[in-house]
Amino acid sequence: MYQGLSTDQAPPISVPFRFFLTAPFFAILIAITFFIYPQEAIFDRYSPIAVGVVHLFTLGILTMIIFGALQQMLPVLSGAVIKKRILFANIVHTNLTIGALSLSGGFIFSSSLLKSIGSITLTLAFGVFFFVVTKLLFQVKYVNSTVTAMRIFSIVGIITVLLGLHLIGSHLSGNFSSLHFDIVNIHIAFGIFGFALIIVMGVAFQVIPMFYVARDFPKDVQNKFPRVIFGMLILFGIFTFMKLEKDTVLNVLSILAIIFSYYGIVSLNNRRRPVFDITLWYWKLSLVSLIVGLVMFLIDMPISTVSIVIAFGFLYSLLQGMIYKIIPFLAWFHLSSKGYFDIPTLRGFIKEFDIKIQFYLYVSSVVFMILATVFNKLFLYIAGGLFIVSNILLLVNMITATLSYKKIANTDPMAAFK
Amino acid sequence: MSVLKDFMIADHRACDEAFATLENAVHEEKWDEAKKLFEEFASDLNYHFDMEEEVMFPTFESRSGSAHCNPTPVMIMEHTQMRKLTSDMREQLDAKNKDQFFGLSETLMMTMQQHNMKEEQMMYPMVDEAMVGEEQMLLDSMKELPRKDA
Repeated sequence: MYQGLSTDQAPPISVPFRFFLTAPFFAILIAITFFIYPQEAIFDRYSPIAVGVVHLFTLGILTMIIFGALQQMLPVLSGAVIKKRILFANIVHTNLTIGALSLSGGFIFSSSLLKSIGSITLTLAFGVFFFVVTKLLFQVKYVNSTVTAMRIFSIVGIITVLLGLHLIGSHLSGNFSSLHFDIVNIHIAFGIFGFALIIVMGVAFQVIPMFYVARDFPKDVQNKFPRVIFGMLILFGIFTFMKLEKDTVLNVLSILAIIFSYYGIVSLNNRRRPVFDITLWYWKLSLVSLIVGLVMFLIDMPISTVSIVIAFGFLYSLLQGMIYKIIPFLAWFHLSSKGYFDIPTLRGFIKEFDIKIQFYLYVSSVVFMILATVFNKLFLYIAGGLFIVSNILLLVNMITATLSYKKIANTDPMAAFK
Repeated sequence: MSVLKDFMIADHRACDEAFATLENAVHEEKWDEAKKLFEEFASDLNYHFDMEEEVMFPTFESRSGSAHCNPTPVMIMEHTQMRKLTSDMREQLDAKNKDQFFGLSETLMMTMQQHNMKEEQMMYPMVDEAMVGEEQMLLDSMKELPRKDA
């Protein structure tokens, strides 16, 4: 169990970077659908187009970035080191990319072949990832609130995937049981409140106090919330199958998420560091969106609007804020560990101005997406255009940092002494 | 509860606080105050590293006997990275170069935090385990270490 701090504990930089660099391509694909398909088809949660678009997001963006970041964070947070890291990353990344494209394509183009390819490759990607990561997480000796949240995330993730596989099996066989829509609802609840929210909590418990020198989350929130949410999700599943009233369970889940978000904002607002940090904008946008989205849900506003606020306001902005923190640090850390002395500081890898522009474009695209759920298709076109440009900029910012890293890494670290 | 782990974690937090106070002074361009705060911070940070490198790690290594998976070389390598950053920060502070100073302080912050995370989650619990019943003795020896110039 002492393996976590061995000299080669961090995976090669190409491991997390390949996952991060893939995500914006899926975002661009989502925006392209805005120009091709009718507004009603995109915002009707049961239309095959919407199911395809949702999975471009959940698999191609959300899972892609989370899986990439976790491979980097596991050794630091828990001492859990993945063996054969490159092979592991190759299998997971390739299958997740093909799987996300195929499954979404299968729904969008009504193709059974694509759905079949999607289900096989996604089974491989998730199967390999969760088999290795869950085993490692349960072997961790020194458990803290983040490790607990990650363990729950992995269990909830497995349940979400198994439910998803059952659903795709029904689509492929054309044999829909009477419980089909119940399983759809459980799959969605586990995906949002389990897979997405619990991992965000686990990361926030560590990252917010540490990187912003901010107040810790209250101990009860850290220790109890992920467990209670897991319990509530199980209850939601049972209530759904037993045809009992389950709105109360969803309301409790929403309130727990709002409380978490509130403490996150309080912590960020009381941070000790005075330095302007652009990633704070992404974190704040994310946490505020979580509250706004869930309040909208609690007062029964249209589910399409709520979904946009949660997916793009809460989740994708947080993921981008995380990427902007992780990429420059990893570039610096790997170069410094290899003995290079003449390295830019973190701010030198990606210019703050470029991140700001990307942030403004991104926020505008989300605002237009929200407006598009209420007004006409023109708003969706504008949202799509802005979303494409903001994701190209995200990609350019990431590539700029990667190229700076490569340029230095290709030189001789001892050159300064010759 | 562990006296050793608790003491070291409290020392990490004290360093974080001192670091944030220093950044505040630079932010407000109170250069004289910033210089004084910087030297205090650098001295505390260096002393923390010395306590680990000269007392804690050698004692742990002699007790644990797990040379093939010894985590201390990584910890020491990261101390070297942080010492280099601190020395670069001193140069920028002397030159009153705020932008460059914050570029470096951001980098030190991230390095320090991920380093602390590794120590708090793994290194210190491992030391505690190797030193059962003797934690207080080790802590006393660490505190007896004389301070050197940062």
